[in-house]
Amino acid sequence: MFWLEQHIDRGGGLGPKERVNRLQVACGAMRIRVAECTVRYEGRLNAYLPQATRLVMVKADGCVAVHADGGAYKPLNWMNAPNTFTEEGTSWIVMNPKGERLTIEFGEIHFETSLEMGEDPGLQKDGVELELQRLLAERPESFGEGMTLIRREYQTPIGPVDLLCRDSAGNTVAIEIKRRGEIDGVEQLTRYLEFLNRDGRLAPVRGIFAAQVIKPQAKTLALDRGIACVEVDYDALRGSESDVMRLF
Amino acid sequence: MRIRAERDDLADVLARAGRAVGTRSPLPILQGVLCEVSGGKLTVTGTDNEVTVRTFLDVEVTEEGRTVIPAKLTADAVRKLPVGAVSLASGDGYIEITGSGPRFKLREMQIDDFPKIVDVSGGETIVLDGGNLIRALAQVGVAASTDDARPTLTGVLFEANGENLRLIATDSYRLAVKDIPGIATEGARLVPYRALRELGRTVGMGSMTVTLGDREASFVTDQGRLTVRVIDAAFPNVQQLFPDGHSNRLVVAKDAFLEAVDRAALVAEDHIPVRLAMHGGGVELSVIRQEVGEATELLEGDYSGNDMTIAFNTRYLRDGITAVADDHVVIETSDPLKPGLLLGASSDDFRYLLMPVRL
Repeated sequence: MFWLEQHIDRGGGLGPKERVNRLQVACGAMRIRVAECTVRYEGRLNAYLPQATRLVMVKADGCVAVHADGGAYKPLNWMNAPNTFTEEGTSWIVMNPKGERLTIEFGEIHFETSLEMGEDPGLQKDGVELELQRLLAERPESFGEGMTLIRREYQTPIGPVDLLCRDSAGNTVAIEIKRRGEIDGVEQLTRYLEFLNRDGRLAPVRGIFAAQVIKPQAKTLALDRGIACVEVDYDALRGSESDVMRLF
Repeated sequence: MRIRAERDDLADVLARAGRAVGTRSPLPILQGVLCEVSGGKLTVTGTDNEVTVRTFLDVEVTEEGRTVIPAKLTADAVRKLPVGAVSLASGDGYIEITGSGPRFKLREMQIDDFPKIVDVSGGETIVLDGGNLIRALAQVGVAASTDDARPTLTGVLFEANGENLRLIATDSYRLAVKDIPGIATEGARLVPYRALRELGRTVGMGSMTVTLGDREASFVTDQGRLTVRVIDAAFPNVQQLFPDGHSNRLVVAKDAFLEAVDRAALVAEDHIPVRLAMHGGGVELSVIRQEVGEATELLEGDYSGNDMTIAFNTRYLRDGITAVADDHVVIETSDPLKPGLLLGASSDDFRYLLMPVRL
């Protein structure tokens, strides 16, 4: 467990020595800080972000993300949960079990807050993705002979995996279904597998990444992580002809 | 490696080889181009592991050698130099680009990481005019699918029967076939259109040697070589889709027809079909879009057959008309729910079969 401090901006930037209104909040909250900072990542490679104003988020599950003012949803640097989070003076140090380390050294803090956001209701999937999940849940044998469904939307501590199945050898299989299979989906399934494999009743759990189309980069990443890829034909699963006429 | 060449020539070979470099490659080395200098020639190679482009340039060589340099940055740097001679010199992990004053010193990439490029082995070789092939590919390529979910349909089938080279593409909604006569080889390979689209901008239009190998196809001119991995899948049997004959035949001027479809497309956008009401004297095009309004236009033409209304996807129809290389376009139809055939009035070496839209 860690404790967070809430700094309330009173106009202008807040230096470390300035008077701030402090409120301690227990872990389990989203913490957001906008500040001058440098970021050093050490792990699969070494990367360094020089001093600049950035948004740093620490999510309730321990995920840490460093954002610039641009670049859509993608952080400049991030660490997925599970993490060990340590605050040392003006530094935040985040480490994961693989030995990767993110060190954020703060200067002037412009804004900071924390908020308990409660349980997220999850993503409302679009029609095709939800329908794909329903159709594949009815036909788990699409993923291999003898595959049976354990549960749809099986809850893990970080969210529900689309399908949890058992293969013909009795092993557990987690299946993540997307309309378009991209790297983000593989990362999501990897996180689910990490949690599921901690459960002695289910382990070992292998993964299948299913989508109508899987991008080559996502395929490469999935196969590198031992996750099988399956491309599914939505029309064939529906068993119905498309409204649009085709030559064949 | 040390060379000297004219700025425009150097920028050209770097840019053409760079077209094979993927912008979103997961491997950083694929953001680079391999430069090799030997025998008075610079060879630049760019690849995304599926499509490889090699370009050649005669240069003034001070020292032979090999290096991998960032494709886009180097090409841009050379292009931005003043007109005149440009020097490239590699050493100590850097490549130095100089020309009439400005100087760039860029980091080299790890040459050992660059993929080994395998030349095409086996297969039939065809020599033909590159310009003709590129124009023919542009005609059929519009019908190739861009949907990676059906990779077979993203290719153009090269089918040589000993007399003709037949190029075929289909996305299942339309089918385009082009015959190039005078090709005395046999064999068939399915080549990704994504790569073929780059031929004109990479290896140019001179005399072209096409090799259809077991795993790769290559297209070679005196300007360069494009190699692409062929699609290892059975192409649908599409010959049977062409009907034995059509009962209705409309002949209209291509330019006027294209302009009329373009005007209709303003109202139609992509998902609303254009209706063709064909009768003696020509065809009336109309588009009705509930929430916007409608557009109609009468186009003169020669029509033989029964009066009939048929509707087509506006974009697919436009693609077909554009692809016909003739002053007059023929549309043959038999039923509002059966495919229509577009071809030129004076030649049937290009045929475009288009499925109608149900009204």
